[in-house]
Amino acid sequence: MARSASKAAAARRNGFLIAAASLLLLIWVFPLIWAVIVSLKSESEVLAYPPRVIFEPTFQNYSDALFGGVSILPSLVTSLIVSTSTTILTIIIAVPAAYAFARLRLRGKKWLGFYTLATQMVPPVGLVIPYFLILNKIGWLDTFQGMVTVYLTFSLPFAIWLLVSYMEDIPREMEEAAFLDKANRFQTLWHIILPQVRGGIAVTVIFIFLNAWNEFLFAVQLGGNTVRPVTVAMFNFVSVEQTLWAKLSAAALVAMLPMIIIGIAAQKQIVKGLTVGAVKGGGRL
Amino acid sequence: MFATERNFALLMVAPGLLVLLLTTTFPLVFLLWNSFHTVNLAMPFLDGFAGLDNYARMMADSRFWHALQLTAIYTFSSVALQLFIGLGLALLVMQISAGQWLFRIVAILPIVLAPVVVGLFWRTIMLAPEFGIIDFIFRILGLGQVNWLGSPTPALISVIIIHTWQWTPFAFLVLLASLAALPPEVFEAAKIDKAGAFQRFRYITLPLIRPAVVIVVIMRSMIALSAFAAIFAATGGGPGTATEILNLYAYKTSFVELNFGYGSALAVSLLVITICVSGLLFRLRTAHRG
Repeated sequence: MARSASKAAAARRNGFLIAAASLLLLIWVFPLIWAVIVSLKSESEVLAYPPRVIFEPTFQNYSDALFGGVSILPSLVTSLIVSTSTTILTIIIAVPAAYAFARLRLRGKKWLGFYTLATQMVPPVGLVIPYFLILNKIGWLDTFQGMVTVYLTFSLPFAIWLLVSYMEDIPREMEEAAFLDKANRFQTLWHIILPQVRGGIAVTVIFIFLNAWNEFLFAVQLGGNTVRPVTVAMFNFVSVEQTLWAKLSAAALVAMLPMIIIGIAAQKQIVKGLTVGAVKGGGRL
Repeated sequence: MFATERNFALLMVAPGLLVLLLTTTFPLVFLLWNSFHTVNLAMPFLDGFAGLDNYARMMADSRFWHALQLTAIYTFSSVALQLFIGLGLALLVMQISAGQWLFRIVAILPIVLAPVVVGLFWRTIMLAPEFGIIDFIFRILGLGQVNWLGSPTPALISVIIIHTWQWTPFAFLVLLASLAALPPEVFEAAKIDKAGAFQRFRYITLPLIRPAVVIVVIMRSMIALSAFAAIFAATGGGPGTATEILNLYAYKTSFVELNFGYGSALAVSLLVITICVSGLLFRLRTAHRG
């Protein structure tokens, strides 16, 4: 008797908890769902009052956003080039550095590690101002090499720290065995360490690519007509005279689709990266 | 070639450190240099050494103090909201036996969106007067119309809500992971001792997840201090200067008014504040360890 009563109370409590949590869930997912709905409406349908949930869906906005007069297609290509170059360059530079920090004896290691961590805390506005003047002087404004250089400022410190935490997890015995086989240090890094941290490198790649793809401040100020990443291209549909909501929603969803797919597919790895970063104190996300 | 470990290590870190020195430290030194100069792209004939002029101007600039105040309000309230909602939800979800994966999936969505896209979504389909869905909901609930982004106080509340919406999932996911990693025996023992839910939280859970809480606070504070894209997209710092946090003021001074000298000084002040806040928070972290 008493047991079934407490069971009912527990069920009620559980129901309440689920309801409360679901409400928050809805709040998070709603703007995205609403954007999908708006993106399927015509611009005039968007401005109907009250907002209609039943309507004739159209894919016109998507084809306009991709192939219309203010297409975001070139910007998608630009973002892909910038983000991919940033990611590759960062990994090439960060992996050896992280290995040295995690594993090797090095004079002033502690200090150098702190320096790397500190560079990550610089507010981006403190970099975009001098960079505008510097890149202007050397003619690198609105160039791919300029943009990738600037993107290294946030990707590199983060990548080094994330990779260090993964490399510290590798058992030391593996390296020692390699040394006994007379492998030199570089061979050890290449054949022993790298295969072990493949997972860590994958997480790092995801984080760098995501941050580079979503970056806006540097993109809007140091880019231009040649290098116009997709985050800046969103403003194609926003002007003083009018905002094309449906096309903006369609374009934004197209631009964010790769990130959403990566996010869902690599959800576990991202959370692990966030917590690893949390322990080490890194990360811009 | 890789004779000694130290030489090899040096060879490994040298490219990384050199790139960091060149791409972050050098521009920062140049920023500091500019803050002591008049650098005005609109009036280049005035350029030259200015000593502490930019800093003196800053001390007397009410717009600077206003921006500083907004930065404090924005950072404190958005970080506090993220922490409380994120922790509350993490504790809640821990008690739900099935379907935790759904929460993890949904929570990742705001995190992977570009802040500028988030700002634009909220500015248009969510908060716009007449046609935004929030306005619609307020009207059918009989709460009246609010010009969310067009009047000062609602605009400030809006940008705080937008930031909180996007980044609470971060706090939630990190704290959920840290809660899930706790050994269940601890709670079993406390239950046997008849400790209430609140007591269990206060004396067992909280101390155990304190490191994660502190790290969330540190990381989110750093990000909130230099939040840019979402505010830029939603309000552009307006109406007037109602949402112009220090970060945006430094940006506008440089790139709208083309006064790079004064803009640099403002950015240096933000840098100093960021260093002080992170130093303070890191100190709190170590102070509680003992």
